[in-house]
Amino acid sequence: MIEVRSLKIDYGSPGSAVRAVDGVDFTLDRGRSLALIGPSGCGKTTILFSISGLLLPTEGTITISGTPVTGPRRDVALILQNAGLLPWKTVWQNANLSLLLSGDYPKQDAGAVLDELGLSEVKDRYPAELSEGMKRRVGIARALSTAPSVMLMDEPLASLDTLTRERIQDLFLTLWRTHKFSLILVTHDIEEAAFLGQEILVLTERPARIKERVENPEMGGLDYRESAAYTQTVRKLREVLEK
Amino acid sequence: MKRTLTYVASICALLFIWEMASIAVNAINNAPLLPGPFNALSQVVKNAAELQHHFLASAWRLILAILIALATGVPLGLTTGREPTLDRFLSPIIYITYPIPQVALILFLFVVFGTGSGTKVAMVALVLFFQILVSARGAAKNIPEEHIISVRSAGASRWQIYWHVILPASLPDILTSVRVSIGLGIAFLYIAETNAALGTGLGGYINKHMLFQRDRAFAGIIALALLGLILYLAVDGLERILCRWKYVSRRAR
Repeated sequence: MIEVRSLKIDYGSPGSAVRAVDGVDFTLDRGRSLALIGPSGCGKTTILFSISGLLLPTEGTITISGTPVTGPRRDVALILQNAGLLPWKTVWQNANLSLLLSGDYPKQDAGAVLDELGLSEVKDRYPAELSEGMKRRVGIARALSTAPSVMLMDEPLASLDTLTRERIQDLFLTLWRTHKFSLILVTHDIEEAAFLGQEILVLTERPARIKERVENPEMGGLDYRESAAYTQTVRKLREVLEK
Repeated sequence: MKRTLTYVASICALLFIWEMASIAVNAINNAPLLPGPFNALSQVVKNAAELQHHFLASAWRLILAILIALATGVPLGLTTGREPTLDRFLSPIIYITYPIPQVALILFLFVVFGTGSGTKVAMVALVLFFQILVSARGAAKNIPEEHIISVRSAGASRWQIYWHVILPASLPDILTSVRVSIGLGIAFLYIAETNAALGTGLGGYINKHMLFQRDRAFAGIIALALLGLILYLAVDGLERILCRWKYVSRRAR
């Protein structure tokens, strides 16, 4: 379970600090998914980075499975906007990077995950040789390689064309159901939030506060995009954002 | 094949320009001041053993100086590029000392290291150190933050960030600075070798023959140029191995 309590985050030195997040509270049970949506620059990524341990809260607490977050941890994986691949490492090296950094490689490797994502044939290629969709899949492989219990995604499909974006959203959904990790997705895309979030937190302009919580209990099927519930959730999110 | 032909044509063009310049300079001065390329090349063949001796002396000094400059300039450049406190402390020192013409220190180096190889290597290493330091610092500063976040989020230690991100990301710029350093290093090595008393090295060899046996002096210049060419090709080869990712194309779609 992830618990975020009274989270406040300031940037800058104490005298001239700028508040980025101002009192955010939420709980996410194990295996559930949550989407954070809000205007650009509102502080969504800041919240995500603090859950990943990259940023420490100015006030408030974050705990994962009862343990306070004090830095990056092995059971939490982060997928960045452009997949976060290192151009000088091959697909194999990028996918195994987290395992290598934690000292688990080569005892463990990402071979099975690369197979699952259909990337085994390109494992010796460099990111520059891959399409954007493939790059995102390598980023996912790296995140899955450590079998995390929490998956954090920071606008992971930004700048992809619509069809590729939908294909990878389907892949996220399938992986979330099979690997059973808790998922927190940051996005500015209403459709993406409605497709992948069981609960959606709509944030205010900076400093980020929770404007509204939208439940989305019927999500979870690959055909959810065709349903009336999906259309209704999208409409509801649009209304809240425009308020 | 086409590439080889282009190289051959380029060298022929250079030899032709040199020959024309030689004819023109000698005609204007009515004296054989500038030897033509074929005279110089024949001296290379005639004095091959002696030239090889001087070539090897210059080559190891230059390579040693580059290695010293890399071993000192790269770590210092990368850390100043990434550690703001260290950068604030060292930047003023770099900005003050970088513009000083290091050749002005040559007599001081002779006093410290004597007239042997130590001074020549130290002189060249000092010049190249700044070149490489400034390049490495700039490269480290410009690394996209997403690469750092990517490995930090996976729990990378500071050392791992340097090893997996900062060094490989900066390597192409560092190798470019090594290329620039080869030309600069040869120029300063020549100055250091001609300033040192008689001894081994192409600088001394060229200087010794420049007044009365200019075709032999130009044979030495050809050897210096060859040294530069070999080192350029070596750095190109090294880059193709160490930075293979820069040479790949987008095959998969």
